Amino acid sequence: MNERIRRLTVFLLFLYIVLFAQLNVLQVGRKDSLDADIRNNRQTVRDYNEPRGEIITIDGVVVARSQRNPAGSEFAFRREYPAGELFASVTGYYTFSFGATQLERTMNDVLAGRTVEQQVKGLAALFTGADTTGSVEITLDSRIQEAARDALGDREGSVVVLDVTTGAVKALWSRPTFDPNVFAVQSDELLRDIFAFGNATPGKPLLANGYQERYMPGSTFKVITTAAALDAGVVTVESVFADEAEFLPPQTDDPITNYGGTTCGGDLAEVFIRSCNTAFARISLQLGPEAMVAAAKRFGVGVEIPIDLPRPAVARFGTVAFFEQNLPLLAIGGFGQGETQLSPLHMAMVAASVANGGRMMRPHVVSATYDHDGRLLDRTDPSVWLVPMTEATANRISELMIGVVNEGTARCCMDLAGDVQAAAKTGTAQLNGPGEPERSHAWIIGFAPADRPKYAIAVMLKGTDAEISAGTGGTLAGPVAKKVLDAALAL
Amino acid sequence: MSESSTVSPIASRRRRIEIQLVVASGLVTAGAYVLAALGKNATIPPRILPFLGILLAVLTVAHLAVRVLARGADATLLPIATLLNGLGYVMIARLSDRLAGLQTTWTFIGVGAFVATLLVVQRVNDLARYKWSFLATGLGLLVLPVIPGVGFASGGARIWVSLGPINFQPGEFAKLALALFIAAYLAERGELIATSRRHYGPLRLPEARDIVPLLAAWGASVLIMVGQRDLGSSLLFFTLFMVMIWIATQRIGFLLVGFGSFAAACVAAYHLFDHVQTRVEVWLDPWSRYEGKGYQIAQAMFALGSGGTTGTGLGLGDPTRIPEAKNDFIFAAVGEELGLLGATAILIAFVLLIGGGLRAALRTRREFEKLLATGLATIVGVQAFIIIGGVVRVVPLTGITLPFVSYGGSSLVANWILLALLIRISDSSARRLGEVPDTTTIRERVEAWRLRRVEARTEQRA
Repeated sequence: MNERIRRLTVFLLFLYIVLFAQLNVLQVGRKDSLDADIRNNRQTVRDYNEPRGEIITIDGVVVARSQRNPAGSEFAFRREYPAGELFASVTGYYTFSFGATQLERTMNDVLAGRTVEQQVKGLAALFTGADTTGSVEITLDSRIQEAARDALGDREGSVVVLDVTTGAVKALWSRPTFDPNVFAVQSDELLRDIFAFGNATPGKPLLANGYQERYMPGSTFKVITTAAALDAGVVTVESVFADEAEFLPPQTDDPITNYGGTTCGGDLAEVFIRSCNTAFARISLQLGPEAMVAAAKRFGVGVEIPIDLPRPAVARFGTVAFFEQNLPLLAIGGFGQGETQLSPLHMAMVAASVANGGRMMRPHVVSATYDHDGRLLDRTDPSVWLVPMTEATANRISELMIGVVNEGTARCCMDLAGDVQAAAKTGTAQLNGPGEPERSHAWIIGFAPADRPKYAIAVMLKGTDAEISAGTGGTLAGPVAKKVLDAALAL
Repeated sequence: MSESSTVSPIASRRRRIEIQLVVASGLVTAGAYVLAALGKNATIPPRILPFLGILLAVLTVAHLAVRVLARGADATLLPIATLLNGLGYVMIARLSDRLAGLQTTWTFIGVGAFVATLLVVQRVNDLARYKWSFLATGLGLLVLPVIPGVGFASGGARIWVSLGPINFQPGEFAKLALALFIAAYLAERGELIATSRRHYGPLRLPEARDIVPLLAAWGASVLIMVGQRDLGSSLLFFTLFMVMIWIATQRIGFLLVGFGSFAAACVAAYHLFDHVQTRVEVWLDPWSRYEGKGYQIAQAMFALGSGGTTGTGLGLGDPTRIPEAKNDFIFAAVGEELGLLGATAILIAFVLLIGGGLRAALRTRREFEKLLATGLATIVGVQAFIIIGGVVRVVPLTGITLPFVSYGGSSLVANWILLALLIRISDSSARRLGEVPDTTTIRERVEAWRLRRVEARTEQRA
């Protein structure tokens, strides 16, 4: 009997070793991922009793700060966003029990004073009781951001402005959005309701539509197709395309038509500034699935954009295997229809890379971080993310985009103040099927000044029901872009 | 008195070690209590003096009881129990002032029951005589919560009984009664069951009459599962029966058949009962059910993760976010505030407690005591494993208390009685091995006196 009791001892001991192993897994191995879980508010509870640093725009406007609660409150501090919804896409919200988003989340360590550097300095603070929180300076300029908000007005859509040479985000505005102050309530039930409401509201207001949502880009995508074709040598500026109203790609009986059924053709400049679909369908078929997919990839399609904000939308175009079976979709993909989808931020980066001699910069919203005494903790250095095209090609496309402004689809609306020359490409992404009421995303991407580019911009108006023509994107989105660029260049 | 005059170096050494360990456990408890208050409110707890008084009283009474009533017993059993009880109390006090007061009462009653058990049960073998009473009591206690008007459900499981002003969980006591019954029954008939060779086809099974009571016990555990929706207790009872049958009969076949049929019952329960399915699903993936049934276990995961290696420190964590932190999930609260180190200390304490029980089982020669000690150690070991395993997601979560640590009167009192029985067994083998002089008990002296009088009378008559 003793032999069996010993075996039982070994068995019970084994059970406890299993428990010990699992404790190690949870408390050591998975500690970081558990702590980082967005639903884990333990840290938040602690943080609500500590001051938290500010988020400040590059022009010195405080957009997030901690306010001391009146004595006797459950928590010592509450989070406040003085600009309301204006910077929601960048600051995100900081909730009591549902975690945080955007910079409130990614810059949490700095704001709460938990980076190694701050902790070392904080050792002294243990005795002096000094504040160890840090602040985050963002690249956005409140005046450009306000201009973007005012220019978009009450329409739904996104405006993204980038600094061409550094990749710094100067404006990131989209509607619908939310007021992060609403999320600063310190009650679980209330928050649950707020989230339920936010999630049920059409247009995903809780997502930063400017970079977390992707949309069909329409003809703005022709910039990518043109770059691919020029770099591959499939077309040159001398190439001439036949005047035609429709073009029948292989594998289908359904011809591709131009906007409004117009007849369209000519040299590369002509088809680019008039935005001829038939010509670009031919170009993308000429390039073929492999070259087109490779070109899209060179522009960052299919990869997460390395912006310093969480969860950017990943652009998509299609795979080689898919296009080989579906050549008509490759043809319309060449002018941004079909399966093609990119975020407004991504399209602004496309415009910026043209303006920047073919170099696509890593976009960023954090300019620098500082400790409580104003000493620099970290500064974001501009870096090149991708080189999607040669400098020569970039310069050619730049010329083409100037043509769009001066005599093409953006002629109507991109006449900037002070005779500053802009460069642009318009897009009208058709959303309706044949026979349905016309609906489209109206796009414009561009940059200015054209000779020494400073700012790149992407404007997208979501799901408009205006009549679709080659000029729709220009006439709707163009004035928005003009107002924002005027405001930015006036600074 | 002759008892105090008999010198026993082994007994005094054991009691000296015991008091040192008990004092150490008291210091840990008191230190933890102060730290928790400092962490939570940044003040020395206002009730520190009554607390220290109560702590001192409890430890002194428990130690003196062992010193007087079971001085040959193992020196580690009592200190481990006081440490677990103390740390559990600190966690409960840290979670809720109101419950702390109640838990103090329960601890008093528990230690009282401990002393009473040592006092009443002076010869363990006497208990074997009452095995049928224990079976009846055990089954009766199990059925009680299902009886309308008496039993009631709380938190999903129908394991409560309300008698007048007192609410209690009879299952906690039923497990003791049934362990006593099975130990006694198998001590008497284990050999028979093991050697009987009645053939049913290829199967070699014991005589039906020998096995019927054990089948009843098996039935009881299924009843608990179905009738009371208490999966944890069901698993505990079942493991207890199987382990004891195997220990007594050496027939691995019983284990296989037993666990096979129990597994079948579990599968059936999984398909028949929604709550069983939910438990299993939540175990496999609490995250996708975060807003519902998975919330509790997810919070436990967060708590353990936030504790990390060294813990947040007592009073500095946020264990109130875990539903039922005082009860089923107290281990997660410990893991949060004391970290991997503190949680491991609790695990080691249980391993030592189980080890102490099984050592008592190994040392005694009497079959009944052997089986009983094994059964009691198994109860503690498996019960703690089931609930800790549920909290850390090694097994599906089933609501059951963590012995000595969780809040709750029934559990605490039952476990103190269990501890008294283990100490009694340990002490009686020390006496039998001659380590301690085997003095007569009060009852034996009364009995002897009566016998002498009867003899004297018969002689007179003769």
